[in-house]
Amino acid sequence: MSPDVDPVALAVPFFVLAIVLEIILGRLGRAKANYEPRDTFTSLAMGLGSTTAGLLTGGAIFAASLWVYEHRLFEIPMTAIWAWVALFLLEDMTYYWFHRLAHERRFWWASHVNHHTSQHYNLSTALRQTWTGGVAGTWLLWLPLSLIGFPPAMVAIQKGISLVYQFWIHTEAIGKMPRWFEAVFNTPSHHRVHHARNPRYLDRNYAGVLIIWDRLFGTFQPELAEEPCRYGVVKNLGTFNLLRVAFHEWVAIGRDLATARSLREAAGYLFGPPGWSHDGSRETSHQIRARWAATQPQTVSREAAEATGPTPAARSESRV
Amino acid sequence: MDKAFLIQFSSSLAAVGVLVGLSAWARIGRPARTLDEARARELFFEDFPDRRIDRLWITRDGKGALARSGECALVLMAVGDGFAVRRLSWCQASSAMFKGGVLSIHLGDVAAPRALLAFDNWPPADLAA
Repeated sequence: MSPDVDPVALAVPFFVLAIVLEIILGRLGRAKANYEPRDTFTSLAMGLGSTTAGLLTGGAIFAASLWVYEHRLFEIPMTAIWAWVALFLLEDMTYYWFHRLAHERRFWWASHVNHHTSQHYNLSTALRQTWTGGVAGTWLLWLPLSLIGFPPAMVAIQKGISLVYQFWIHTEAIGKMPRWFEAVFNTPSHHRVHHARNPRYLDRNYAGVLIIWDRLFGTFQPELAEEPCRYGVVKNLGTFNLLRVAFHEWVAIGRDLATARSLREAAGYLFGPPGWSHDGSRETSHQIRARWAATQPQTVSREAAEATGPTPAARSESRV
Repeated sequence: MDKAFLIQFSSSLAAVGVLVGLSAWARIGRPARTLDEARARELFFEDFPDRRIDRLWITRDGKGALARSGECALVLMAVGDGFAVRRLSWCQASSAMFKGGVLSIHLGDVAAPRALLAFDNWPPADLAA
């Protein structure tokens, strides 16, 4: 029942070669690629640490999946094509909600934030992964798939495929893909927006493989030529220290909890949106976006109109 | 410890070394751009768009800046080829340790513990003005 095929492990040589290629193309001026050695080291070391940390919790997580699978509702054959198609869609939607939770609630953001701490956006950034994902418990979100009846090995393989897919979109070397591809799939352009700290781009494009979930659930934002992405987090890190990168938000949560004066405040600091504070002295992404939007009323109303399609007046004009 | 794990870990470690070395060799960080007043104001504005900057001092190496905004100090520090910005009380900044031409400001932030800003003197002569 354990996954004999690990797409991520199989893809590691490809990851290394792709980074080498991106650096060389950047050096030759043939592709847009910025690499800063300390930033690159941080990203790759976080990736290596994440793999090691995953080994510590991976067994327990897989055992939990097996236990749930023993109580499954349906028998789903691992050899059926329809089962893989269904799993692809369900796993990708699960990823969307995991990712949204990981951005919009501080407890899970504490684990995910380090993926966003680079001020660069290149293939090494894709490997800047969490050390505390197992502890944060977001893996629980995938258990319903095993409860439905998808074998845990099948789920693990699909998760791996999704992660491998998401590697190549961490690049500035690729501008935009063909329109049909941009409409359906997560792409470098869509994911650059996700990694940007511009107020307009905050908490957008959570997709794993299919961008349709963002379009469906109202979190889609296209990359705009007039607003280049500025990468990083709202408060960029002032250090490359690996321990600080990995644990800074957990420590910050601990400090806030130590000063909380009530259960409500403690809950806010733990499960409120990142940036929440009891006295409103900090800003959440939502507040930053709102502040920005208040200064750009024309831009926002135009974008809203574009997102919802042409107005009746515009439609009638287009018929003339 | 599992032998396969050790082999995989050491190979990965070697790959990390090669890739970091390659990125250093390539010299494709963001183009070095010494801070001037306009750039510093632009960077402060990105993080604190509502803050008016009363006074601004750029470090002599062009890698940082300190601004006074009312009773607050805004600190801009280079991180690799990027920047990080923090806000603290003006009292904290003005009383920070200045030694050997470097102002060392403790930021009280686990993600950015300290800012080191190179100034010729501190407090600056024009501060009282």
